[in-house]
Amino acid sequence: MKSFFKQRNNGKAVGLLAAFAFFAVLPLFIGEGYISLVNEMLILAVAASGLNLMMGYAGMVSFGPSGLYAVGAYTTALILIYTEIPFGLALIAGPVMAGIISVVVGWFCVRLTHVYFSLLTLAFSQIIHTIIFGWYGFTHGDDGIVDIPVPEFLSSITNYYYFSLIIVCICLALLWMIVNSPFGKTLQALRENPERTEFVGIHIRRYQLAAFVLSGVFLGVAGSLYCGFNKNVFPDFADVMKSTEMLVVCLLGGIYYFLGPAVGSIVYIFLDKTISSFTEYWPLALGLVIIVLLIFMRGGIVGFFSESVAAMKERGRAKQHVSH
Amino acid sequence: MAVNDVSLNIEEGELSSIIGPNGAGKTTLFNLLTGHLLPDKGRILFKEKEITGLSTHEICRKGIGRSFQRTNIFPRLSVFDNVQVAVMSWRKKSRNIFLRAQRLLREETDEILESVGLGDKTEKTAGLLAHGDQRRLEIGIALGSHPELLLLDEPTAGMSPEESERTVDLIQGLAREKGLTLLFIEHDMNVVFRISEKIRVMHMGEIIAEGKPEEVRANEEVQRIYLAEEA
Repeated sequence: MKSFFKQRNNGKAVGLLAAFAFFAVLPLFIGEGYISLVNEMLILAVAASGLNLMMGYAGMVSFGPSGLYAVGAYTTALILIYTEIPFGLALIAGPVMAGIISVVVGWFCVRLTHVYFSLLTLAFSQIIHTIIFGWYGFTHGDDGIVDIPVPEFLSSITNYYYFSLIIVCICLALLWMIVNSPFGKTLQALRENPERTEFVGIHIRRYQLAAFVLSGVFLGVAGSLYCGFNKNVFPDFADVMKSTEMLVVCLLGGIYYFLGPAVGSIVYIFLDKTISSFTEYWPLALGLVIIVLLIFMRGGIVGFFSESVAAMKERGRAKQHVSH
Repeated sequence: MAVNDVSLNIEEGELSSIIGPNGAGKTTLFNLLTGHLLPDKGRILFKEKEITGLSTHEICRKGIGRSFQRTNIFPRLSVFDNVQVAVMSWRKKSRNIFLRAQRLLREETDEILESVGLGDKTEKTAGLLAHGDQRRLEIGIALGSHPELLLLDEPTAGMSPEESERTVDLIQGLAREKGLTLLFIEHDMNVVFRISEKIRVMHMGEIIAEGKPEEVRANEEVQRIYLAEEA
């Protein structure tokens, strides 16, 4: 039994190392356009995984993650254009600010449950969008903030890719630690049955707020990272379409699997770019993807495959029994 | 209506039951004791300290555990996780984000699972267990918070007679072994008269009789209510 677990864990570690090695050598084989594309996938993976801490693990479905993502992006952008504060600090300020805003927004939101919670998160992201859009003198409104100064060594696409890769790995490692901690397990219990969780002595609102803020911080990291990558930020970072995108990414990969959102990000951006290249009706394709997911693949891609593998093993075992 | 003018005193270490027709207010009484409902009037004391108006998670921490009438578990978590969540909360580990939960408090959790007869099913998904096992798991979750007073709301509901007997033995054993004070709601009179040291009868939101099983059995008002129900 014990050796079985050890084996499985080793397998996992080898898999993760292989994935890291793959992403590390990737730029040697592909052009800059594709490096950018993969970078976008990585950043979206952090946003979606952060969102999924709240959605998949704690069962709190947010309709407004883009608000906090935009807070991260704009905080970094504004600091870089208005002040002399170095890039590193501006990058850290993004998630810090997103965390602070999350405390305020979350404090209200966790007072509600189910669809009311979701709608309130949507309302807050709309408020954030409106502020960014309307405060022309400060945020440049719908012109966005363009040509954000980024340090020399990070302005090359490949260098920024490696920079992102490191941060993304750190974020995913932190999220992995959180979801496997006692806190993470308690969040899962909360998702399954809030009433019962409260009656094992858990102050559930406090835990929900903590999940909300942690989610917000990772959304902020993604926003800041994207700001440095794109060197331009726009109000539509905070809009409903962006939130929908993050939700779909989580569902696409599978919300009950740690790597679901990351896999979802890769597939989503791949579909987005391929389909957009030969038709302008990408939203139509997106709609079809959502329908297929919700009706035929409720566990998402990761869920679909892990269930198929489990079923195959089961069949294999059954066959063995028959032949003996 | 629900619960009206109820006064009861539960002695430490006693094993007692509440019976009464449907709608008598038994579950409502539990909900008042555990803070799921707030009384309009009156006070609730636990170990000589006032707990009226505390929230449910605070009351749980004071040492009152509970199982629910409708099975109330964490369906998609493993059997082990179901109980471990409660144990972690009791041990004040739930907030920790740096520890790895997998091996945490394993012995204690396994011991509780063993004591409710689920020692061989720890890795199973809770929601896929048979009904009787789910009911026992619920008792396991309640034990995870180390209660001194355990309230069980129809612990044998929906069980086959054999299962029901097994569960009753288990409850009795637990109460003795851990020195629990136990109060349970039950419809199955065989169970009630077999293990209760004291029986309380509720009707229309009031406690109308209270005493040893033979006293309650002989009580005329109780007989009238139960006969009227059957007629």
